[in-house]
Amino acid sequence: MTRVAARVAAALALALAAACAKSTPEPKAPSPAVAFERDPAALKRGKGLFIGTCGAYCHSLHDGARGDVPDLFDCAWKHGATDEEIFLVISNGVPGTRMVGYKGVLPEGDTDLWKLVAFLRVESTCASTRP
Amino acid sequence: MRKLVSLFVATALALGSYAAYAEEDDGELAAEIALPDSGHHWLAEKPVGTSVGPVSAEMLLAGPSDPSRWLLYGGDYKNFRHSPLKSLNPASASKLQVAWAFPSGTFGQFEVSPVVYGGVMYVTSSYNRLFALDAKTGALLWRYDHQNPKNLRLCCGPPNRGVGISGDLVLMATLDAHLLAFDRKTGEIRWNVELANYKDGFSATSAPLVVGELAIIGIAGGEYGVRGFFDAYDVKTGARVWRHYTIPAKGEPGNETWAGDSWERGGAPAWTQGAYDAETDTLFWATGNPSPDWNGDDRAGDNLYSDSLLAVEPKTGKLKWHFQFTPHDLWDYDANTQLFLVDTKFDGKPVKGIVQANRNGYFYLLDRTNGKFLRATPYMEQVNWATIDPSSGRPIVDPKALPSEDTTERVCPSNLGGMNGAWTGAYNPELGLAYIPEIESCQIFQKGIAVYTKGMPYLGGLPDTKDAKEGKSYGVLAAVDVATGKVAWRYRDPFPLGGGTLSTAGGVVFTGNLTGDALAFDAKTGKELWRFRMGGGVRSQPIAYQLDGRTYVAIAAGSFSALDAFMGGPKNTTEGGTLFVFALPGK
Repeated sequence: MTRVAARVAAALALALAAACAKSTPEPKAPSPAVAFERDPAALKRGKGLFIGTCGAYCHSLHDGARGDVPDLFDCAWKHGATDEEIFLVISNGVPGTRMVGYKGVLPEGDTDLWKLVAFLRVESTCASTRP
Repeated sequence: MRKLVSLFVATALALGSYAAYAEEDDGELAAEIALPDSGHHWLAEKPVGTSVGPVSAEMLLAGPSDPSRWLLYGGDYKNFRHSPLKSLNPASASKLQVAWAFPSGTFGQFEVSPVVYGGVMYVTSSYNRLFALDAKTGALLWRYDHQNPKNLRLCCGPPNRGVGISGDLVLMATLDAHLLAFDRKTGEIRWNVELANYKDGFSATSAPLVVGELAIIGIAGGEYGVRGFFDAYDVKTGARVWRHYTIPAKGEPGNETWAGDSWERGGAPAWTQGAYDAETDTLFWATGNPSPDWNGDDRAGDNLYSDSLLAVEPKTGKLKWHFQFTPHDLWDYDANTQLFLVDTKFDGKPVKGIVQANRNGYFYLLDRTNGKFLRATPYMEQVNWATIDPSSGRPIVDPKALPSEDTTERVCPSNLGGMNGAWTGAYNPELGLAYIPEIESCQIFQKGIAVYTKGMPYLGGLPDTKDAKEGKSYGVLAAVDVATGKVAWRYRDPFPLGGGTLSTAGGVVFTGNLTGDALAFDAKTGKELWRFRMGGGVRSQPIAYQLDGRTYVAIAAGSFSALDAFMGGPKNTTEGGTLFVFALPGK
C-alpha cells in the first residue's frame, strides 16, 4: 500500500468510526443512586444524612415547601431533574440562596451524596421520579 | 416607581443584559430586581436630633420614665417593656389611628424594637438596613444599607432586632458578625469591628446592650457548631474589653460536662439581649442550645453552659454564678428568652427575683442574687417533654420525648418554644403580670446523622412539624402572675404568636399576630380592645412614646414565610416590611 493509499484508508476508517459513534451512542451508565435505591443500608444512611443535615429550618420531610425552601419530594426540580443535576446542586449549592454546597463535607464524600439522591428518589411522592 | 422599574427592566432586556438582572435560569426575575445602584449610605442633610445632648448612663438607667424616649430594647434594664404612659388605656386604645408608615424594602422578619431619642426614631430592618426617621412624621433623615455578603450563615432568616444607643452613637450588629457605631445625628460610621468570621457559622441579630461605657453583644451560630460567646466593647472606640465564652475551655470548670473535644463545636450561642441589675452591678445573659441540636451522642454530659442563665461582672465578664435550665438539651430549647428582673415574693418572703418564660415551656423564678432555683410552672397549654424537680429545678425527662430515628411521639413544646428569644414579653409591675406570646405546636423529634464541618449546618436531626402540617398549631398570649407562676388569662390566636409585647401604665398590652394584625388587650383581663390589619405578619417589638403631648405606638409588620410555615403560621402571607406608627387623636 502506498503512503497516499494508507492515508486515505486511515481517513476513511476514522470517518466511519465517527459516523458509527453518531448513529449508535453508547448507552449512558446509570447513576450510583440507582443501585443505592435497592440497598436498604444505603437508604438508611441517606435518610439519616437528610434528617441530620438537610432538615429543621431548611427542607421539610414531607411537609411541603416552606417560603424560600423548596419541597424535595414533589419532583418539581428547579435546577434539573436528572440524578446528576440533583447531585450537582447538593454538591455546589445554589448561589444567592440559603442552599450551601456539600462537596467534600460528608464523611463518605460523593458516596454519601449519591445516597442522599437515592433517598430523595425513593421518598418522592410523584409517580415517575426520573425524567 | 413601578413604571420606572418596568422601564428599567425593559431597557435592560433590550440591551441583552437580562442575565445580569436575574440569577434564575428558568426565566423568572430574581426576587429583588436590581435597581440602579444609587449607593447604600445616605447621610443627614443637616445634623438631626440636636435638641438633646448625648445619651447618658443615667438616662439609660431611667428607662422610659421620660416618655419622649425609648432607649433600650427591654424598655429598661429590667426588661419590663412597660411604658409609663397612662394615655394608652382601655378607653383610648381603640382610638389609635395610623400617623405614618415606612417601608423597609426588604424581605424577612422585621423584628425591630425601635429606639426613640431627640425626636428621632432609629429603626433596623432585616438584612441590616438602618433608618433614622422623624418620630413624628416618618420622614427619612439618614439611611445605611449594610452590604452583607451573599453566603451568610443564617439558621432562620435575616432579622435584626434594633440598635443600642449611647452618647452620640447608635450601634448595630450585623448578619455578617460585625458591630458598627454611627453618629446618631449624621449617620456617619464612627467604627466597625468584626465580632467573628461569619464564614465559620457566626452571625449577630440582637440589639447591643449598653451598660456604662460598654456595649455588650452576643453571637448566634448554634446550628453551625460555633463556640458561643458574648463580648463587651468600649462604646467610644470599639475596642474589645472582654469576651465571655459560654463553653468553658479545657481545664476550666464545666468543661468536664462535654465528652472529648465536643466542647469546641458545642454551640451555646448568646444571640439575644440580657438584663442589667444596677443594684448589684450584675449582668445577666442567657445561652442557647448545644450543638448539634438533636443528636447528643458525641457530647455526653450536661453541656455547660448551654441553655443557661449566666450572671457576670459587667466590667470584667467574669462569671458569678449560673443556672442551667435544660441540661444536655436534645430539643433545641434555647434559654435565650427574655429575662425580667422582678422583686416579688416567694413562700411569703420578699425575693429579688429573675424570671423567664423558657423555651422549654416552663416559667422560672430564681433568686437573682445567687442563682438559687425557687419555682418552675408551665405557662403553656401543652408541655409533655419533662416535669421539673421542685427542689433542684432539673428537668425529669420523659424518655418517650427523646429524639430517635423512628419515633412517632408528639412532643411539646416545639423546638421554637413556647416563648422564643426572637420576640419579647412585657411586665406590668402594678399588676404583677408578665405577658408572654408563645407558640402552641408539637413536633416529632427525629434523630439523624450529625456531621460537623466548620461553617456548615450542624444539626443531627429535625423536628417533624406535625401540628404545623396538620393545621393544629395556634398561638397564645399568656398573662403569668409572677407571684404564683400561674396564668391569669390567655388570648388564643388561630396561628402561633411570634411578635413582641409592650405594656403600658394605662393598663394595655400591645402585640401582633402572623396574619398581620396589630392587637391591644386589657392588661388586667385580656379583653381585646383594638385590632388593625397591617398586612405583613408581626415579628417586631412594639414601643410607645410621646412627643409634643401626642402619644404614639410603633409596631413593625413583616415576617419570614419559611419560618412562619415551620411554626404552623399562614402559608400565604406576603413578605416585605412596613413600620406602622399609630397615634392617639390630639394635636
